[in-house]
Amino acid sequence: MLLAFSNLLAFWPLTYLALGVALGIIVGSIPGLTASMLIALSLPLTFYMSSVDAMTLLIGMYVGGISGGLIAATLLRMPGTPASIMTTFDGFPMAQQGKGERALALGIAASIIGGLISWVFLAVLSPPLANLALRFGPWEYFTMVLMALVMLASLSQGSLVKGLIAACLGMLLAMPGIDPSIGQLRLTFGWDKLTGGLALLPVLIGTFAISQILKDVIAIDQRLAQVQVMRRAVAIKARDLVTHGPNLLRSSVIGTWVGLLPGIGGNIAAMLAYATAKSVSKEPEKFGKGHEAGVVAAETANNASIGGALIPLITMGIPGSVVEAILIGALIIHNLQPGPLLFVTNPEIAYGVIASYLVANIFMALMMLAAVGWISRLMYLPRAYLLTAILFFCVIGTFALNNRFFDVWVMLAFGVVGFALEYCKVPLGPFVIGFVLAPIAEEQLRAGMMSSEGDFLALFGRPFAATFFVISILTLCWPLYQEWRQRRRASAEVTT
Amino acid sequence: MNKLLLGSLLAGAALALGAMPAPAEAFPDKPIRVIVGFAPGGRTDTVARLLAAKIEEKGLLPQPLVIVNMPGGGGAVGAQEVLDAEPDGHTIIHWHHQLLIAKAMEIIEAGPDDFTSIGFAGGGSPVWSVRGDLGLDTLDDVVQKLKAEPGSLVEVIGIGTIPHFVGALLAKEAGFETRKVQAASGSDRLKMIAGGNADISLFAASEYEGWKTAGQGLEAVVFFGPNRIDNLPDVPTATELGYDVVWANPNWWLAPTGTPQENIDILAAALEEAFQDEEIKAWFAENALDHYWTPGPQAHEESVELLGRLQEVAAEIR
Repeated sequence: MLLAFSNLLAFWPLTYLALGVALGIIVGSIPGLTASMLIALSLPLTFYMSSVDAMTLLIGMYVGGISGGLIAATLLRMPGTPASIMTTFDGFPMAQQGKGERALALGIAASIIGGLISWVFLAVLSPPLANLALRFGPWEYFTMVLMALVMLASLSQGSLVKGLIAACLGMLLAMPGIDPSIGQLRLTFGWDKLTGGLALLPVLIGTFAISQILKDVIAIDQRLAQVQVMRRAVAIKARDLVTHGPNLLRSSVIGTWVGLLPGIGGNIAAMLAYATAKSVSKEPEKFGKGHEAGVVAAETANNASIGGALIPLITMGIPGSVVEAILIGALIIHNLQPGPLLFVTNPEIAYGVIASYLVANIFMALMMLAAVGWISRLMYLPRAYLLTAILFFCVIGTFALNNRFFDVWVMLAFGVVGFALEYCKVPLGPFVIGFVLAPIAEEQLRAGMMSSEGDFLALFGRPFAATFFVISILTLCWPLYQEWRQRRRASAEVTT
Repeated sequence: MNKLLLGSLLAGAALALGAMPAPAEAFPDKPIRVIVGFAPGGRTDTVARLLAAKIEEKGLLPQPLVIVNMPGGGGAVGAQEVLDAEPDGHTIIHWHHQLLIAKAMEIIEAGPDDFTSIGFAGGGSPVWSVRGDLGLDTLDDVVQKLKAEPGSLVEVIGIGTIPHFVGALLAKEAGFETRKVQAASGSDRLKMIAGGNADISLFAASEYEGWKTAGQGLEAVVFFGPNRIDNLPDVPTATELGYDVVWANPNWWLAPTGTPQENIDILAAALEEAFQDEEIKAWFAENALDHYWTPGPQAHEESVELLGRLQEVAAEIR
């Protein structure tokens, strides 16, 4: 391990790492452009680098890309990357209340702390954690996602019914494409463009960024007064660490754990951490209205998920996300087969990944602190320029995702959908959460049913799954019980 | 090859003459888009990128090959893009036998007849692997257990993908039945086995080599290639064990039907020459892939024949 650090302290690996982090932050902070796109574009370049250099570059981009997303999410309510959707829920309201700086400071602090805590897990506990994570089968995935769905169901402010409508609509729109359990097309209405379903990025960018652009364009004259310049340093006080300590720790653990589970990534880590923070909070009603704990939970967890996701990558050769599949591809091109043998055959790579992740996090925090004032000033450029530029990047990014223009039309259509939903006071949060979580819940539930030959009760034979399921049921029933108790108390008061 | 030489001579002459415009039919006159129907990082993507880089390095074509990833529907999204493109050879696809499976499952309407095969640039065969702690060391053990207690082992597959079909072909030949669970990708299947949530799955030979010590370990019981390979010398082929199941999944280069034959020939010549390079050969050996070149017409014929067999299987498993 020490050797890996000393290898890393050479000129080129550090340069590539810094370059990767910087590019990642830039790309991450632009709505529409994501870390996975940047990494896919850089893949051909890595052919010509040594494997250590290639790896440091890609890990730097990964860390930078996820972290950069918080700036646009906070200041513009446009998630810079899918992993920062949850940050929009409280970060943007904070910015509207004039606490944008504070939200950014918290977000950066949360990012680095999440990164560092997950690094400790990565460095110390990789093999046992990877083995534990693998024990998670379809039932555990299903119940965990179900738990997140139930906890977030009440996220909508205002009408619960409208929130549920939004969630169902989101779930429904995730259905077209190839049915995972029978391999047949469904809900494509014979339209072959829909064979691959609706991709996450265009839907997300459409509903959040494009709809926000539409809103801002309509209000382009009124909103100029809101411009604020960030002068004070973005600082975080020791007191904040105490106030948010439990949240930071909990969200780091949740983020690392979700990252560990292959197939689900930073956005789901943030959703679960946010949901948990809200459930254990003494003031859950504040979430979604500019509550600091919401920003902290989301940003801690999405960064922690990277460290978590690197664990199965280096111990088993299992990619947890698209980014990591590309990382593995980069290794394979260099004739390195990721897997349990990597520590034996190429320890400089295996330990190098661990070391680079730590250094990347430190670089990320330094660069974000240095650049955040500057980047946020960019966000307060005259809106006519800013919105045009963002729209331009959204179109490019969405096109580059799968190299097809269909996705751009999807994005624009969802921009209108998002705008219309907000106009009708239907919240966007549950819509997007339904869209992200429903496919995983469905696939895993059906896989679980296949393995138990259609017996749903098999769920109770598995301790983790059963626990998650019971928590879901309790979360669902708790408000009803409270209401019932209040009503009984009220009626008791009347009779006495 | 001659045509290529002639082409480059002509191009050289044109350069020498300075102002002389290039002949309109000179192919390729713009970068060639190679559609890969998967996200970057997998075998199909990597092989395409390696060959594209080799073609550029050796100057085999006057224009570069640009790899365009269009994931979705197991490659169906990318295929649609190719079929919608101008059939002039500037848009081609690098795919594999998932095309036949998608056709057999009726996910796409297009089949091998809607494409012109440029050729197979080698390919790879998978192994059927059993979880290490089950004590089932040979295919015979597995078959006997499944015959005694049908459905007693969980086979993890992607429904309507290669692992599903190869498993079904073997099950049909050997007369057994597994319990099936679905998982999206190779690493998801590994996850299920390494975590003890499934017992059997199909892996590419190179995947198996990297993953054989994960979790409880993996035991390869049968290899589906036409013959044993050096990377897995101890794993018998299905044919050796008396089951007529061979699955060699090629790196299949295709152009949309209607592409002029001379352009196909130019592409085939460049790809084949890049493919025969020693570095590429070494990479194939290292990654447990077979290194052979099958010319277009033969590739087409083999694929059509295989499709017939897959359609029979599809009728049973759909």
